[in-house]
Amino acid sequence: MCSGLVGTQEGGTHVSTPRFRSVIVLAAVMVLAVGVLGAVGCTPKAATTSSSSSTPVKGGTLSYYIGEPAAIDPYNAQETEGVQVVHQLFRSLTDFDDYDATKLVPAAASTWTVNADATVWTFHLNPADKFSDGNTVTAQDFIYAWNRIANPNTVNTATKKADPSQISYHLAFVRGTDDYGNAPKGISGLKALDANTLQVTLKAPFAEFDYVVAHPGLAPVEKSLVEGGVDYNGSKVAFGEMPVGNGPFKMSQPWKHNQYIKVVASDTYYGAKPYLAGVNFMEYKDPDTAYLAFQSGALDFSQIGTGKIKDAESKYGDSADGYTSNPGKQVLLGAENSVYYLLINNKISVLNNLKFREALSLAINRQAICDTIFQGSRQPADNIVPPGIAGYQPGAWQYAKYDVAAAEKALADAGYPGGKGAPQITLAYNADGGHQPIMELVQADLTKIGLKVKLNPFADFPTYLKALTAKNFMVGRLGWVADYPIIDDFMNPLFRTTSSNNYFVFPNKTFDAEIDAARKMTDPTQRLAAYQALDKQIGDQVPVIPLMFYKHHHVVSSRVHNFIFSSMYLADLSKCWISK
Amino acid sequence: MSDDIRASEVLQGGVVGPQAPPEQEPPTENLARRELAGTRTLWGDAWYRLRRNKMALAALTWIVILVAVTLTADLWVPQHFGMPNAINTATAEANQFLGPSLGHPFGTNQLGQDMFSQVVYGARVSLSVGFLAVAIAVVVGLLLGAISGFYGGLADTLIMRVADVFLAFPYIIFALLVLSVLPRDFVTGSILPTVLTIGVLGWPSIARVLRSSILSVKQNDYVDAGRALGANDGRLIMRHILPNAIAPILVYATMSVGGAILTEAALSFLGLGILPNNLSTMISWGQMIAQGQPYLTSSPGVVLWPGLAIVTTVLAFTLLGDGVRDALDVKMKD
Amino acid sequence: MGRYIARRIAQFIPVFLGVTLILFFITTVLPGDPVAVRAGTKPLSPAVYKSLRHAYGLDKPWYVQYVDYLGSLSPVRYSPKSGLRFPGPDLGVSISYGRPVIAMFEETFPYTAELAFAAIAVEIVIGIGVGIVAAVKQFSIWDTFATLSTSILVALPVFWLGVMLQYLFGILLQQWTGGIFYLPIAGASGPPFADWQYLILPAVTLASVSTAYAARIMRSQLLEVGGQDYVRTAQAKGLSPSAVLWGHEMKNALIPVVTFIGLDLGAMLSGAILTETVFNWPGIGNMIYQAIGRRDYPVIFGGVSLILFIVLVVNLLVDISYAFLDPRIRLGSKVEG
Repeated sequence: MCSGLVGTQEGGTHVSTPRFRSVIVLAAVMVLAVGVLGAVGCTPKAATTSSSSSTPVKGGTLSYYIGEPAAIDPYNAQETEGVQVVHQLFRSLTDFDDYDATKLVPAAASTWTVNADATVWTFHLNPADKFSDGNTVTAQDFIYAWNRIANPNTVNTATKKADPSQISYHLAFVRGTDDYGNAPKGISGLKALDANTLQVTLKAPFAEFDYVVAHPGLAPVEKSLVEGGVDYNGSKVAFGEMPVGNGPFKMSQPWKHNQYIKVVASDTYYGAKPYLAGVNFMEYKDPDTAYLAFQSGALDFSQIGTGKIKDAESKYGDSADGYTSNPGKQVLLGAENSVYYLLINNKISVLNNLKFREALSLAINRQAICDTIFQGSRQPADNIVPPGIAGYQPGAWQYAKYDVAAAEKALADAGYPGGKGAPQITLAYNADGGHQPIMELVQADLTKIGLKVKLNPFADFPTYLKALTAKNFMVGRLGWVADYPIIDDFMNPLFRTTSSNNYFVFPNKTFDAEIDAARKMTDPTQRLAAYQALDKQIGDQVPVIPLMFYKHHHVVSSRVHNFIFSSMYLADLSKCWISK
Repeated sequence: MSDDIRASEVLQGGVVGPQAPPEQEPPTENLARRELAGTRTLWGDAWYRLRRNKMALAALTWIVILVAVTLTADLWVPQHFGMPNAINTATAEANQFLGPSLGHPFGTNQLGQDMFSQVVYGARVSLSVGFLAVAIAVVVGLLLGAISGFYGGLADTLIMRVADVFLAFPYIIFALLVLSVLPRDFVTGSILPTVLTIGVLGWPSIARVLRSSILSVKQNDYVDAGRALGANDGRLIMRHILPNAIAPILVYATMSVGGAILTEAALSFLGLGILPNNLSTMISWGQMIAQGQPYLTSSPGVVLWPGLAIVTTVLAFTLLGDGVRDALDVKMKD
Repeated sequence: MGRYIARRIAQFIPVFLGVTLILFFITTVLPGDPVAVRAGTKPLSPAVYKSLRHAYGLDKPWYVQYVDYLGSLSPVRYSPKSGLRFPGPDLGVSISYGRPVIAMFEETFPYTAELAFAAIAVEIVIGIGVGIVAAVKQFSIWDTFATLSTSILVALPVFWLGVMLQYLFGILLQQWTGGIFYLPIAGASGPPFADWQYLILPAVTLASVSTAYAARIMRSQLLEVGGQDYVRTAQAKGLSPSAVLWGHEMKNALIPVVTFIGLDLGAMLSGAILTETVFNWPGIGNMIYQAIGRRDYPVIFGGVSLILFIVLVVNLLVDISYAFLDPRIRLGSKVEG
């Protein structure tokens, strides 16, 4: 390798051989070590169909991937991670059916009734419903929990600082939530008829309020524990770090931030006890790292890494219905109840033209967006309402499809044949959310029918949100995640004139009256028909342009049976089991 | 401080930095030959030495080629390779991640766009940002450094303390915040804010270089002599002090162009640098890398080519800076 | 020495005030409302909105917020009820997570420190080693190779290097070895890799540019020192080349190198945003970057304050070590502050 290192050189230094050899050898070893000591990555487990029978087996701990939740105290369960954990620890008045999220099943309430004009709901609690510390759940617990949500001065149990709930909008239906501060006993619309009966009076008729109360955040909590703390190993832990609930699982130790949340089966649960002994929610900041862990067998449930969906499908097999996993059919790709859509600000005169909006909607190749950028984890939207919602009708929004000829005709009918004379369209979005490629494809499609389109990126989401609120945009984008699997949860927040998410001014008529009328109907068939008609009516106006529905892109390990991950993004871990 | 330029910021105050190997020239030179080569003047001498430095010459050639390519890009790139931001949604998926070919020398990216075209137009952005940002830093730095060095006293302390504040601010954080604040509109897009940010953050180093140059020269006799002859301050600065101080500034500025390009790439990578605007040719290398990163498994090319472009360009400016320093230093030693 | 330290701290205070003042001012003109951002697309009742803004002091004018913030940094608190207490600085509560900022830093800073020290180790061993080799074997193939590779390294964008390393060692290597040998490309821990294996790629990436600079400085310093008179004297006296190198040259040549590495350590401990973003390393750089994107002011201010403090401490240590390394300074000749 090196010939003699000794020698006189101008300005050089004299050096003896062994000292230098050792330095070089050290450096070389370090470089080699890096390569060689790279981990032994296990070859991923092949998808073996379990040979064991399909009778449930008790025991075992499931490892579940989540990101760090903002809160697991139900009063503030706002994003999917937090809601997921809360859903295992708590049960609200009603729940969604495991296999069909559009159906409600009894949970903490065994029966419920509504009066003729859908303004008063009476929930009869299940007397066997207990918290994991043995105390029976009473109507007072619900009232306390809901007041906590509505109170603008609620204190975070861990920091003792004011941290009011971000999910109080669920209770906006209830009479008295608005003037919470003034009423002496909190929300006036809540009444405990007796320990087992909760009566809720609404502000306005709403026949689907039983869907609203299924939200995991509206679960009951015990006042003494919230205010006094939870006992753990002889000391008191803040309720928000170790919530105590009435669900199939309970916390086994306080929340280890950014690491894990560990829960075990609760023996006081009123329903069928879980087969699992416990669940470990392992927190990962990075979904790709989580997928690596899944492939090595350390996680039972994970998101699929970027660009690896086809690969996973061939390795693990596709789930039969997209929501349930069994060995050999482990990749979950079912449609979720969320939609990605373009906003339209029709204060701009060109956008106030119905034919023009139709042209925009018809010109966009949604399938190309889903295939090129998302490689299978999104599907084109043909409605503002996703397929998992009761009453979804494919193609109800007749302009939410790709038809270039029809788009060109609509553009001509709008007064801009071939795009001639049309003013420039700008597409607004936030640059930090991965929306740029989508907008670039939209731009390309609109340019093809002759329009002049420019991208209008905002630095980040806060700046973008501000521009939206100030109506400082032409065409923007937003996503909406349904809180309840009903058409109303798309119609009301997106299209009611006073809603904060509505950026469109309906030109001739508003639909507020239709929404309210549908809400009054207590007959489910009649109501569903009304909402479907409303959906179609609004779709004909093209107030927004639906682009894609989100899909699950998750995978479950081969040792788990009957794992259910619904379109409402809720997993029911009390129904799955692990085969040995 | 940003990972990329942290080192060069650390070594401010002088022109310590990456050094090319010393020139291997014979110790004595033929004076007559030098006269023929026109090296009797200050700058002619420097130019002569620069020409003889192979690496610096190669770097300069590469930069000239790059500038020529970016200036003429509109004439030949779209015709043969397509516009950089062109998308055909019908064929996009089919055209994803194509390998290098005659029609696509660098292949295509995740949206089926030609990467060669993107790299060429990205050069436009990088070079403009590089030059403009350094220009701003030099102008502001010269002004404040001159005031600071020449007048001393309170102005000096004040300016140097402000420079300290600027230097103490964690670079990337400052850049991100400033870029989030500065408005972007359709016309100027994001080039102006980016240039302003990098330029404004770069003036302290130049000011310091000039200041120390001035301080070391101020004591000299010819300055006193000039003052005795009645020259006013401005004339003293312009005619006596500045020419001597210009040398380290020139070197620093040349190498800073490379640094500015790296910073712009980093900011674009973080999503706050260059964003598309009304020009369908606005694209940045850093942005290409940021958008290509999720598709690494499908094709490394989406990240490889813009990165190589950055490396070669920055390397060229660094080597050129080295060469300029060697050319000017040797002159000073003489 | 004590007076020198005191003087440096006194110099630091106006800089700290200046930086934080500019920071506060920038955030007032920064568009975007952290409370609205936290709610996202879901509706927020006006009462809750007002309550949250009040809880975080966002309804006060920025200069009042600034004074409050400075006050909260003080480790000493006085109240009429409980007198003098020493609870330590209170950096507030994160708007996005509702958790104390100090707790969040306690979780993330160890990761940044781990990465920084690993990178410095690489920098010291490889940087100094290569610099020595290049100087000792000047004009040889090793020297040319070292100079060329360091030139290229300083021209590399750090984040690009990180992405390419991800590709080479995470993806390609996995393909070539059929999934047996490869390195993790993101995150800091989790099966199947051991924690230290997650450190490899980010540390190499972070260290790359600095190592190149360190090598160059070491080389040029050794060359410069090698031409000095005292070295020639030592050689004339008959000392072996190795004794001359390690006994005389290195001690003097090392000083600027140590200075550089020390300052570099300070910069790395400030959180290397680019490296942490590429590898999703859960350090303070990543945390502050995401806080900026969500307008989480307490985290941003706390982060910048922490960084300023760390850089002060590290710079101070570097200067002190400088004094120890160079006896001329230690023994009393004036040092320019």
